[in-house]
Amino acid sequence: MATVMAATAAERAVLEEEFRWLLHAEVHAVLRQLQDILKEASLRFTLPGSGSEGLAKQENFILGSCGTDQVKGVLTLQGDALSQADVNLKMPRSNQLLHLAFREDKQWKLQQIQDARNHVSQAIYLLTHRDESYQFKTGAEVLKLMDAVMLQLTRARNRLTTPATLTLPEIAASGLTRMFAPTLPSDLLVNVYINLNKLCLTVYQLHTLQPNSTKNFRPAGGAVLHSPGAMFEWGSQRLEVCHVHKVECVIPWLNDALVYFTVSLQLCQQLKDKISVFSSYWSYRPF
Amino acid sequence: MRTSLQVVALWGKKAPPHSISAIMITDDQQTIVTGGQEGQLCLWNLSPELQISAKELLFGHSAAVTCLARASDFSKQPYVVSAAENGEMCVWNVTSGQCVQQATLPYGHTAICYYHCSSRMTGDGWLLCCGEYQDVLVIDAETLAVVHSFSSSQSPDWVTCMCIMHSVRVQEDSLLAVTVTGDLKVWDLSSSINSIQEKRDVYEKESKSLDSTNCQTIRFCTYTERLLLVVFSRCWKVYDYCDLSLLWTEASNGGRLFAGGEVLAAHRVLVWTEDGHSYIYQLLNSGLAKSSSPADGRLLRETVSPHLLCSASVEENQSLPFVMGYMNERKEPFYKVLFSGDVSGRITLWHIPDVPVTKFDGSPREIPITTTWTLQDNFDRHQMVSQSILDHFSGFGDEGAAEAVTASEYVPRLDKLICGCADGTIFITQALNAAQAGLLDLGSVPRDSSPHKVLKGHQQSVTSLLYPHGLSSKSDQSWLVSGDRSSCVILWDIFTEEALHKFFLEAGPVMTLLMSPENFRLKDDQMVCCVCSDHSVALLHLEQKRPLLRARKHLFPVTTIKWHPVENFLIVGCADDSAYIWEIETGTLERHETGERARVILNCCDGSRLLKPEPVLAAALETREHGSEGRGPSGCPSPGPGACPALRVEAPWQAVAASSSPRPFNLLPVKTRWSHVGFHVLLFDLETLTERLLPAAPGDADPTGSFHGRDLLRRARSTVGKRAVPTRRSRAAWGPASPELPSVGLAQGDSAATVLEESDGVKWQKKRKSSKRTPPQLSGRVNASLTLDTAKLFLSCLLPWGVDRELDSLCVRHLNISRLQGPVSLGLASNEDHFSLMLPGGDLCSTGLKAEYSGVNLFSRKVLDLSNKYTATLPSHLGISRGLENDCDSWQESNTITYLLSRLFLVTKLVNMPLELACKVDRSFKVESIHKVKSPVNDILPISSFYSHLRNGRTGSPPPERDLSLVKLISCWRDQSVQVTEAIQAVLLAEVEQHLKTLRKAPADSCHVCLGQRDSRDQVRPTAEVGQVEDLQPESLRSASPVYPAVSPGEQDSNSETANFWDSADVPGRCVLEVSESPGQPRQHSWIAKMCSCRVC
Repeated sequence: MATVMAATAAERAVLEEEFRWLLHAEVHAVLRQLQDILKEASLRFTLPGSGSEGLAKQENFILGSCGTDQVKGVLTLQGDALSQADVNLKMPRSNQLLHLAFREDKQWKLQQIQDARNHVSQAIYLLTHRDESYQFKTGAEVLKLMDAVMLQLTRARNRLTTPATLTLPEIAASGLTRMFAPTLPSDLLVNVYINLNKLCLTVYQLHTLQPNSTKNFRPAGGAVLHSPGAMFEWGSQRLEVCHVHKVECVIPWLNDALVYFTVSLQLCQQLKDKISVFSSYWSYRPF
Repeated sequence: MRTSLQVVALWGKKAPPHSISAIMITDDQQTIVTGGQEGQLCLWNLSPELQISAKELLFGHSAAVTCLARASDFSKQPYVVSAAENGEMCVWNVTSGQCVQQATLPYGHTAICYYHCSSRMTGDGWLLCCGEYQDVLVIDAETLAVVHSFSSSQSPDWVTCMCIMHSVRVQEDSLLAVTVTGDLKVWDLSSSINSIQEKRDVYEKESKSLDSTNCQTIRFCTYTERLLLVVFSRCWKVYDYCDLSLLWTEASNGGRLFAGGEVLAAHRVLVWTEDGHSYIYQLLNSGLAKSSSPADGRLLRETVSPHLLCSASVEENQSLPFVMGYMNERKEPFYKVLFSGDVSGRITLWHIPDVPVTKFDGSPREIPITTTWTLQDNFDRHQMVSQSILDHFSGFGDEGAAEAVTASEYVPRLDKLICGCADGTIFITQALNAAQAGLLDLGSVPRDSSPHKVLKGHQQSVTSLLYPHGLSSKSDQSWLVSGDRSSCVILWDIFTEEALHKFFLEAGPVMTLLMSPENFRLKDDQMVCCVCSDHSVALLHLEQKRPLLRARKHLFPVTTIKWHPVENFLIVGCADDSAYIWEIETGTLERHETGERARVILNCCDGSRLLKPEPVLAAALETREHGSEGRGPSGCPSPGPGACPALRVEAPWQAVAASSSPRPFNLLPVKTRWSHVGFHVLLFDLETLTERLLPAAPGDADPTGSFHGRDLLRRARSTVGKRAVPTRRSRAAWGPASPELPSVGLAQGDSAATVLEESDGVKWQKKRKSSKRTPPQLSGRVNASLTLDTAKLFLSCLLPWGVDRELDSLCVRHLNISRLQGPVSLGLASNEDHFSLMLPGGDLCSTGLKAEYSGVNLFSRKVLDLSNKYTATLPSHLGISRGLENDCDSWQESNTITYLLSRLFLVTKLVNMPLELACKVDRSFKVESIHKVKSPVNDILPISSFYSHLRNGRTGSPPPERDLSLVKLISCWRDQSVQVTEAIQAVLLAEVEQHLKTLRKAPADSCHVCLGQRDSRDQVRPTAEVGQVEDLQPESLRSASPVYPAVSPGEQDSNSETANFWDSADVPGRCVLEVSESPGQPRQHSWIAKMCSCRVC
């Protein structure tokens, strides 16, 4: 081993001292910073039940698209749940105005937000009992902790950045379609999801394919946003999407949360890198 | 992977790391199962005296194990389910170490409960799972398919813990679950079985907020059928289940976080913390608090208050996170056991007294630790048996201890093993020699005389190695590239042993070396890509000895490298899902993308051939990051987001299976995550080995025999291939989804017949699989002596050295194979990605071997009995004629070895079949037209004669019935869940004994083993007793009976069974009919089959 060490004994002593400082001081500083950031992030998600006010406050979001104004929607977000929705749809042909609203007694959980929130609180929980009173003994211990935290944070971020790809029958079967009063017309499908920092609402208008239709029936696969012409089978009917309306609105606090995720992931990685630097000096010991 | 692949592990002196993240004890209290953050499972034997010893390491998960649970009724099937962070689930048979079922779901589970209601459920039961998703998933325990879910109408959220409440009073099972936000939810279980099976939504019966978060455990007290213990991380609470009223809250003191708890008895609870402390409380019933309540006008409140009786804590390292569990067994031979496992891999066990009491002065009593054990303890105790691959080089360093191997690479083409060491030297040695030196007691041969080369040039430990020619045939054969900790990359000429060029990258340890793909070339040259620990990537041009590109902008570890073949782009994917596109010629960063666009960019290049698919590199990087390495697999399942595969051994496995010309011998290095500890695994492909030996062995003296043998091997394969057709049809008849269960009303005999037929079908399918592979062209360059050496090494590993000293010396003398240094660690592969490796000393624990056999390479006690049974079935008079002459020459020696190997190959084939089927649900079947099926009689006869020809190539063919009885015997072992290794060793022992019988000085010695083992007989099952009867038959009687080797009643019975077996197989049409009528799962039959065969044989 002696030959492996490029450094002299004095140099090695300095290195060890430095490493001890890293484990005892620097790691805790980073962890505290990390915890602060994540707490800030989790505040954005306003855990229901944890706040003194009991219920999370309601926020209204007006959804629109820059192109047409065929669909307008006002969605009310309460924590991770949609509590109210008012969607106005201008039917393309008849120019009729269709109004859709949520039932009073029901809420629709946005699972992406819920999952992201849970992942963040798991990450915070991992960090809670690693405060100043805790002494890290090895670098590997820090690396493992960072790996676990980063896993949760990556998942939290991915939940927001990657909406579920659903097939049309899955959208039709989802509980969201049953949320409306009066009930959703059979030629309409609605889907709500989060994409990055945006709350998105898609309305699909459908028409039935005649059994003797010459069109080649090919059911569409899963997608975040289906395009007109996508076909599927629902019940005994074959349906085709004829119009797709997508409206969206930026949720500012989701934007914040995503930034916090990115920053804390970088912090974690930097800490891992710092530890790894020392690993190259003594390869044998579980540094 | 082929069933004929046999695995031998060469552990080093250090145990692989196993950071326990989940722990459980099986219901029979004989096995502790732990899951590690590295992704492996470890099976520990728990003796009746509560002594622990590690038995086996199970490989299969590529991410940390999150939870373990029983997966079937343990008295019927010893199955345990494990779930990993990335959604992988495996069902393991913990007695054999095989993976029975596996699935990857898009969900990560944190807890699993097995539920079976015998009165209302027909299938195998459910696994109720919760984790990083809403509510509770119901998964079929056998197929691991999602059945449905228990959903909640009010505030659905992730469930953190749950328990099944079985109340005798109410006659209804309920599922209690607590969500992340602290809501207790109750679902009816037994009355909603039908709804769930019909996929109707089942909503919770009750939902109540418990006003605390981070719930760890919920337990229902079955003794009082009233109390509910709920453990949160900051406090634990007791509720009255009747009205869910809170009876007591006990907060944690001293900042300790609770991790779990269990109800010990009526009004007695056990609670443990994350740092390994546990407390036993008596819940004092304070009765109705008369004084307080009536005045308030409230209802009378009953409360309980806890009184600390006993406590227990681990000895050291109290800061490490622990996972604990408690096993409450009231039956006599079992104990009440509290157990814990920690991140360092230590298991601690406390025996909880039946009635815990305080000290006389009322202060809590400390419960002493009963046992504690780590993997390393196993390695220390049995160090003799675990030989690392390079230990014999220790002669170079005078310090005594060999430098640790930090990187190694096996070059199959040259059969060279290249090892980079911690001191910077690189050894190149003949792999087979290294393995022999590691395993065998070579005696007089000087140990360090094996030819090897030493490359000296690195100043620091070698971190990665690359042999370009192995990846691209256009590279120079002599080149070797190595990288070290100080960021130095050296290009070597391995033949002249000189360093051709040194590159200094100055970018931290070189973690991975990769070759550019063959179709990608810059000015017609290939280059090497180095990934360094500062997340930079460097491209080196080997031919011109100059660096081409330094890509240094990456913020996160590099996970993917892709080459754009047309535009000379290098696309680098990082762990944060960003993509960097570098132009190779100019060295400029062309684009940097994140998020969705990065994903598209990384995916779009899938068409171009990658050097290594991304998970590989991810794995390699993850493991190398901390100075260790793992050779990546090809085409392994992609790990979940952020999940880092811990250990990738399946890769080469697949590579071995996929390589066009299979090699009889392979050696692969294995490294684990977060550590430098590595070990090597030897792979013997029995099939290829046999194939290569067959033409070589008998030589000119008996050309017909050899031709015959080979021809028959092929014929057997092709004929069984055709048999697959009816089975395919029968499969189709089962329907793709949820096969119905077998009708229970079948008469016993009938069902037995069906079972046999099924296993029959199973067998043919498996055979067919192997037949799909065309026999490899034997290249003229095959080194016959190398093959023979490999075969000898393999036999050495299998022979039960030390059981019979005389036999040992006969083997050494006449077969010219060497003695082992100690027992070997064998592996058992279940399929491509799942296998188990025995740990040093693992052979001693579970199988009931006594101390007298320590140091004996005997896999289990069963082997001797099996071997005796096998010998009894062998036609004994033939054994004499086959015996070797005293002046045994090399020709006969190789002939014998060939014969032994072909025998073993058959045994593996026979024993492996049902196991393979279980894992081959999605195996696509080659469609063959039905009219191709020849008369089934023709199919069977060649096989039976094939057996006999293999065995009696030189002595003429005996009646096939004899071999049929052997086949039957082995098939019977399979049904009794005899492990492959046990079967192989038993057969080998019996065959070797037969062969060498004539060489013994006194014929009486042949009974030596039998007599020696008599005392153990009473431990064996009824089958063995029947076998014993068989053994006791005088040999003359056996040989006098021409058709049946033995005439014991049991034997008669089983022979009639055999007749049935073959009969039914004779009629393919009927076979289909039968199978489609009772399409049930073959595994479910297996225990019935076991019972049946026990009865008859």
